[in-house]
Amino acid sequence: MPRADVVVVGAGLAGLTTAIALADAGAAVQVVARGHAATHWTAGGFDIAAPAGSGTAADGTKRLARAAGHPYAILGSQVKAALATLRTILAAEGLDYAGELSDPLRAVPTAIGGTRRAAILPRAQAGALAPWGAGERLVVCGPARFKDFWPDSIAASLRRPAVWGTESGAGTRPARIDALVVELPGLAGRHNLTGLDLARHFDDARWRVDALERIARAIDRGGMQRGAGRIALPAVLGLADHAAALEDAARILPLAPFEVPLVPASVPGLRLYAALRSALRRRGARLEIGESVASIAVDGRRVASVAVMAAVRERVFRTEAVVLATGGIAGGGLIGMSDGQLVEPLLGLPVEAPRAEHWLADDPFDPAGHPLEAAGIRTDANLRPVDRKGKVVLANVVVVGSLLAGQRYLSERCGDGVAIASGQLAAATIAPAPAVAAAAGKRGTEPKRSAGRRQRAGSHP
Amino acid sequence: MTIQDVVWRASVGEVGLSADECLKCNVCTTVCPVARVTDLFPGPKYVGPQAQRFRLATTLPPQGPSTPIVSSPDATVDYCSGCGMCTLACPADVKIAEMNSRARASMKAGHRPRLRDWLLGQTDLVGTLGVATAPLANWSLHNRLFRWLVELVVGIHRKAPLPKFARRTLRSRLAADRRAAGGRDVAADAASAEPPPDRAVVLFHGCAANYYEPHVALAAIEVLRRNGYETIVPEQVCCGLPRISNGLYASARGRARTNLGSLADYARRGYRIVGTSTSCTHTLKAEYREMLDLEDDDAQAVAGATWDICEFLLDLHEQGRLDTGFGRLEATLPYHAPCQLRGHGIGLPALDLFALVPGLDAIDLDHDCCGVAGTYGLKKEKYDIAMAVGEPLFRKIREADAPRAACDSETCRWQIELATSTPVKHPIEILAEAYAAAGEPATSR
Repeated sequence: MPRADVVVVGAGLAGLTTAIALADAGAAVQVVARGHAATHWTAGGFDIAAPAGSGTAADGTKRLARAAGHPYAILGSQVKAALATLRTILAAEGLDYAGELSDPLRAVPTAIGGTRRAAILPRAQAGALAPWGAGERLVVCGPARFKDFWPDSIAASLRRPAVWGTESGAGTRPARIDALVVELPGLAGRHNLTGLDLARHFDDARWRVDALERIARAIDRGGMQRGAGRIALPAVLGLADHAAALEDAARILPLAPFEVPLVPASVPGLRLYAALRSALRRRGARLEIGESVASIAVDGRRVASVAVMAAVRERVFRTEAVVLATGGIAGGGLIGMSDGQLVEPLLGLPVEAPRAEHWLADDPFDPAGHPLEAAGIRTDANLRPVDRKGKVVLANVVVVGSLLAGQRYLSERCGDGVAIASGQLAAATIAPAPAVAAAAGKRGTEPKRSAGRRQRAGSHP
Repeated sequence: MTIQDVVWRASVGEVGLSADECLKCNVCTTVCPVARVTDLFPGPKYVGPQAQRFRLATTLPPQGPSTPIVSSPDATVDYCSGCGMCTLACPADVKIAEMNSRARASMKAGHRPRLRDWLLGQTDLVGTLGVATAPLANWSLHNRLFRWLVELVVGIHRKAPLPKFARRTLRSRLAADRRAAGGRDVAADAASAEPPPDRAVVLFHGCAANYYEPHVALAAIEVLRRNGYETIVPEQVCCGLPRISNGLYASARGRARTNLGSLADYARRGYRIVGTSTSCTHTLKAEYREMLDLEDDDAQAVAGATWDICEFLLDLHEQGRLDTGFGRLEATLPYHAPCQLRGHGIGLPALDLFALVPGLDAIDLDHDCCGVAGTYGLKKEKYDIAMAVGEPLFRKIREADAPRAACDSETCRWQIELATSTPVKHPIEILAEAYAAAGEPATSR
């Protein structure tokens, strides 16, 4: 039977953050996931906290930490350090982020011509964060016939002041907004372009220089380069060669470029996943996508092993600890049953949830959030699952990410902060145990699988 | 269950119905190696769960007759290579690759197969004829004029990686060996004479080891012997995967039934069925059920007893029963885990075994697919796509500048050898060498 010090179930931001931290602590880590998670759907920025009325993510975090039962009551004080750690890890993989928790949350344009409030964004998107100078213009530019980004429609919408929020005055929005559609090289016959197709084109150094020069000429012809200004482009500036593509864009375009994330599959999300995966492999941890957990064996108050589905025989990992990073309702970490129960399907953990009659809100877009959003698993201060009386039900299980009860990640915009901080705390909770067990040689002649086999980053999921 | 449910299940089954779980999130498109390199294939979501709505609609009364899936709204599904990356990546457990394979089969059902597709499925026939005429056949298959003619007439690309026929089949060699040793014939099924299941395994050698690479099976037999297992080689034919991949399900079922008839009894008696071809073993484990709807006792017994050779050896190791007395092999060994191996869901057992060999520095090349995907890359219209799919892998192998590489699947090995001019070995050959480097163990088990 194979063994791992820790089995992490789920390969989203929370699971991968936990796995990386555990690997850094010396644990032999096995990550299993039934498929790719929300990393492939996200816009790439980190939503730490933006509840209504908060001016900064730091302020939002403090507010949420005071709310009864919110994960930030446990994690709030650790968010800053956890984010800094993750940014260091990602920077080492070539993915840089800009912005601080104390920076004001600012309205940045979206691909449907709305805005969202953000403070911490990948460098490629961060150009949208700076206050708009007096007379500064915005050009919204996209490739011809690209169905996920319509410059005219986006620009028309962004010209409405209300889109930029209730604050008005200097710096809140561009003085002038123009749309620009450019025919990019070799794409004339393409009618089914996706953001991913375009990103792969931008990975080709010669093609992208040609494409960027065409955009620069179009800006010039339109007289849009006069005065200070920025250019919003769909988030397709490369995938594997993103850093170089971004540099080329900054060098060739006469306006300062920033990316606007698109519908899934999200290119900035793919970049984030690639960086996390690479960091994980570099540390010798194992990651297997496409392997659903069949069952988890419990011995008393401890998990003993995790069985993973395979083509015929289940593969059973003996383990010292399990990290549950299976997501909330959207990720499949919680499942709604027809009898009005919400269940946690892998371990049957006690779920904190509103009763079924409250599942349907009168206003599904109520700014206060949907009642079901806060459903999840309640834990102790070390993220171990507890029952209604607050007693730990499984001593070697930790819960991370959006499965944690008490957060409303849509309305409070706290999902990434909870994922990152809970990942770090969970790793700290369970990392020491396997190290002690290994030192004591408890497993006798059990062959220990080498966690540090040589791995190189590549293109496999 | 409503009548509609019954009709649905009977006509489209678990695979077809999984389209209902699709979130349209496009994760599958991000991992598709074919869509990555060509505009001819719009990606797994479009030809899979998206198109499945139309296929399902034709099966449902009163919209249409309750016959199985009639056809695909979009013929580009034929550009799916069947590598299975989409199914692995899907967060909603949609069986995308399997759905595509079935759609291809339904497109081809009722038509006479194209000569090329038929021929690619005839691995036994081609193998038998090829081995019988090996010198001439090998000369022809590597003659540029002949290959140009083959491309013109049959549609197999003139540069496509085709292996060399062995001078003798594995089966005839083994039979001769046994006769020389005064033993039984290979095909003898006198159960009483066979060693018990804890001292013997059944070898499913597949076509590659029988007709082209007997040395791979011989290496496996030697490694098994070293670990106290004799090898039983019962009657068997092509697993049927080349026919499944070419949409020829009916004739694939014929192959499957022959194999199940020969193997099921061993499986029920507790023998493990071990194969060196990771695509054949995956076919026995999963595709008979998922693609060919073979769910009877025989199929289940065989599926449950089948092991990839490296999976089997690693299992021995995890039980502390593998002879780990490997000799030193001072080498860097780039390793490609084939797409078919990923479908097993067994991790990368070859890498775990390589880690036991002193001096061996195996590198996981971490690439999804070499492109050939069985017979896909041999086809005239798909050869360039297959080469482009594998190019990042080929580049890594060239850069590694190692004397050779390793890979569990034969068609991948041939594709990589052609593209990189680097010899590519089955992991079992490397392990056999490592044992040989150590010499015979002092005490036998």
